[in-house]
Amino acid sequence: MELAAGRAVAERHAFRHIDPILLAAAIGLAVIGLFAIYSATHQSLAAVHLDPGRFVKRQLTFLALGAVVLMLALSFDYRLLKVYAGMIYVSSLVLLVLVRTPLGTSVKGAQRWFELFGFQLAPSELAKLALIAMLAAFLSELRGDLTLEDVFRTAGLAAIPAFLVFLQPDLGSSIVFAAILVGMLVVAGTRTRYLAVLALTAVVLIVAGFQVGLVREYQIERLKAFLDPQSVSADALHNREQAEIAIGSGGLTGVGFGKGSQTNLDFVPEQHTDFVFTVIGEEFGFAGALILLGLYGILLWRAFRVALLSRDPFGTYLAAGIASMFALQMFVNVGMNVGIMPITGIPLPFVSYGGSSLLLNLASVGLLLNVHMRRFA
Amino acid sequence: MTEPRMGLRVKVLAALVLAMFATLTTRLWFLQVLAAEQYKAEAKDNAVRLIEVPAPRGVIKDVNGTLLVQNRGSVVITINRQELGDQTERVLFDLSELLDIPADELGARLDDPRYYVFSPIPVATDVPKRVAYYIEEHRELFPGVDVLSEPVRRYPLGSAGAHVLGYLGQISEDKLKDPGFADYSPGDVIGVSGIEGIYERYLAGTRGLVKYRVNSTGENLGLIGRQRPVAGDDVWLTLDAGTQELAEQSLRAGIEHARTIVESDSGYLRANGGAAIVLDPQTGAIEAMASYPTFDPALFTRGFSEREFDRRFGAGHSFPLVNRAIQGQYPPGSTYKPFVAASALQRDIVTTGQSYPCPPSWTVPFDESDPEAMQYVFNNWTTADLGYMSLSTALARSCDTVFYPMGYRYWDTFYVNDDEAANGVESHEPLQHDLESFGFGAQTRVDLPYEQDGRVPDAEWKQSIHDQYPQSFPEGQWFPGDFILMTIGQGDTLVTPLQLATAYGALENDGRECVPHVLDRVVAPDDTIVRRFRQNCRKHVRIDDRYLRYVRDALTGTMTGSGTAASAFAGFPFGDVWVAGKTGTAEVPPKQDYSWFAAMTAAGGQEHVVVVLVEQGGHGATTAAPIARHIIEGLYGLDFSQFTEVAGTD
Repeated sequence: MELAAGRAVAERHAFRHIDPILLAAAIGLAVIGLFAIYSATHQSLAAVHLDPGRFVKRQLTFLALGAVVLMLALSFDYRLLKVYAGMIYVSSLVLLVLVRTPLGTSVKGAQRWFELFGFQLAPSELAKLALIAMLAAFLSELRGDLTLEDVFRTAGLAAIPAFLVFLQPDLGSSIVFAAILVGMLVVAGTRTRYLAVLALTAVVLIVAGFQVGLVREYQIERLKAFLDPQSVSADALHNREQAEIAIGSGGLTGVGFGKGSQTNLDFVPEQHTDFVFTVIGEEFGFAGALILLGLYGILLWRAFRVALLSRDPFGTYLAAGIASMFALQMFVNVGMNVGIMPITGIPLPFVSYGGSSLLLNLASVGLLLNVHMRRFA
Repeated sequence: MTEPRMGLRVKVLAALVLAMFATLTTRLWFLQVLAAEQYKAEAKDNAVRLIEVPAPRGVIKDVNGTLLVQNRGSVVITINRQELGDQTERVLFDLSELLDIPADELGARLDDPRYYVFSPIPVATDVPKRVAYYIEEHRELFPGVDVLSEPVRRYPLGSAGAHVLGYLGQISEDKLKDPGFADYSPGDVIGVSGIEGIYERYLAGTRGLVKYRVNSTGENLGLIGRQRPVAGDDVWLTLDAGTQELAEQSLRAGIEHARTIVESDSGYLRANGGAAIVLDPQTGAIEAMASYPTFDPALFTRGFSEREFDRRFGAGHSFPLVNRAIQGQYPPGSTYKPFVAASALQRDIVTTGQSYPCPPSWTVPFDESDPEAMQYVFNNWTTADLGYMSLSTALARSCDTVFYPMGYRYWDTFYVNDDEAANGVESHEPLQHDLESFGFGAQTRVDLPYEQDGRVPDAEWKQSIHDQYPQSFPEGQWFPGDFILMTIGQGDTLVTPLQLATAYGALENDGRECVPHVLDRVVAPDDTIVRRFRQNCRKHVRIDDRYLRYVRDALTGTMTGSGTAASAFAGFPFGDVWVAGKTGTAEVPPKQDYSWFAAMTAAGGQEHVVVVLVEQGGHGATTAAPIARHIIEGLYGLDFSQFTEVAGTD
């Protein structure tokens, strides 16, 4: 009785313990994204006589929708998620299978989306959060040091969605699943040599995948473009070159908003999505890029802080998983923009144009806030 | 709080992330600070060249799918003024020799203000290959001159339907300022009239773009992007190519014949223009719309200088670009009487049972006790006294003096004088109201541009037009005479041939009036139907069906016996094809009379309304009725009769 009353009071006070810094960093990133998307798209849209604000407006719609999703994600006690993690995880796998059926739509040769009310929704985004919840639930139930068997069972949970998105083909998302797994295994205290065994197994599987032709031509092209720039077609090289020219020509302070010649002349492909960082690099320069990275720094610092403050291991795992996901996406995306990572099609969290990923990222922020504000309860 | 060991491991993970940030920052430092100059130089060298790829324009087909307008390639010569420089005169002279176009004409085409200084201007189309090769081989002699292949319109049936189809031309400066045309640039070709103009949005398609990367010397460094053009949609019309050609040929033959006829006091009929319409009264579908004189739309595949335009399409040729079927406004003359009669029956001005005198003239009632009183006399079209007749016969014989008193009765019954108005009694204008319910005085809303309104005059209009133009309209007051002239379709009344056709359609269709249209459907390149014309038929007319039937039946009397069109339709097989019609002779002083004929026809389940007008064609029975007969014979597959001179009845 008394305990229940205490819970209710804590629940009522929970909203006072929201983390404004974390929220502000996420919003700041999304706002920068809106500017960059506009700069990247308005000229080409106008050139084909479409509304130059088309992409920005759609992104804004998703941002508004994302605010609702964020509120939902922090409105319930996150420990409920532990109860339903299995169900959510299985549902996400079902969606990943369904998207391969005629229910899903295909864009540029990849079947990744459900078409809903004129918007494309990618189930792989939901699957990332589902996996984090599943692994957090699973790992927080394990007692004592992790055995190699535990490690492989955990890896198995991650491997299923990773494999399904890999078939789409969406190599980028597979890498994110792997990063989530590794990040959470580190926090779970996996021995280094178990991690090494896991890595070795993964390498063997990937090489086998190449052999049986599971990896698509263009993925090999892109990987080769990264490993050996001399060896591949002009097209594949073009992406990298133009992205680097764009960022490099930004210099210390950038050429100014809307003034990037690389951006305006559409030299960089996919510039509002995967290569949105080149807009920031060109138009706002090194200073702008550092501000962007700084915001990610704040976001991740607060995320790790949530992991440390959490009242239970489930919350810690949840926060660490989300932090791993954000960190890896940011690193791989910016890395490929500046030419130190292969081109894999991972969006820049909160910044890249794309509704599903924005919704997922905001939901993740909601969960982080959820763990943070219920740390005393 | 997390257990210490777990907390430590979270920090290990955080340290890994910190390493990521360090890596990225280092790389950015290298790109944006150390190597920035080199990249800036590279960005500067990057330039794009855009080449627009025109979209294939949609074709236009008739109701059966016969091609009316399609596309073909044409060799075009363009000149870029900027690149001509000081060699302008010599280049124009050389080109003039090659193209056989006067040099000053070329110069006039170059002075087109609609182009930017830097955009190439087309100066000649359909240039012979020989000339094109010569220019290509002697590029150094022709700076700024380019030879291109461009799609232009082709008209498999020649000038058939030219007024309906319309033509293409360079977009005007006014249009360029219109936000609705924001996606057009100077020099773009656009539909400027007819179907080409009205359905531009469907026909145009979306142009494609090819984007090349070039270096500072203009060398092509490869394709950056390509946007394929999207072909325009095809437009299917309700026009029937066969019927259209029939209407045009009949109109032209009838007009040419009319010019051999001598009008009693003014010499040969001038018959300088005309229009013919065939309409399905059930649907409003326009099956043919002819306007004379016509023009060859293929001429517009190249530009004209203003001078040449005026010479070809000006007053000297009776303005052939005007679509007289919708843009010409004429007094309807006696073709108006059926609608006046229907209104008069409905308003109890006349009855079907009574007989009315048809004297040679009729005098407006006046105060007989006053020897100073003005006497207004209105004459019939014939000086013979035709005796007493029913309203039905009055329609068939087109007796004006039966109709004049109706006009006076409208004035007497419904019009309020100043004293009564001062006492708050309001005037009614039931005649105008009824005429407007047949569609007169307002656009028919046909899907063709520049349609005129026609005019149903009333007291308010008369006063306001007088206030505006006291010179042309010296009288501002509404008199009985205004009603009296209105009953015979004269005075200030004006109609377009299409309005008249629509009104006769309503008469044939028991008062159901259909918005006339030429569009049947719009079909996308993938054969999906983008738009289908939604039939729009409504019963606006508030006149009892029995009166409409009475009037319709009366008009069969026009065709036979002592009817005004009897001689024009002598020998016509009325047993096979039902025809009811009305002649009209509109006075447009100082010109010769304008000839009208309007007919409703039906046989074997098909119905057609046929309306013919010939400007300065004399009496209705003289010129318009024989043309209408010829069209009706063609429509129902009858043997064609010859154009012969018939008696000049109203």
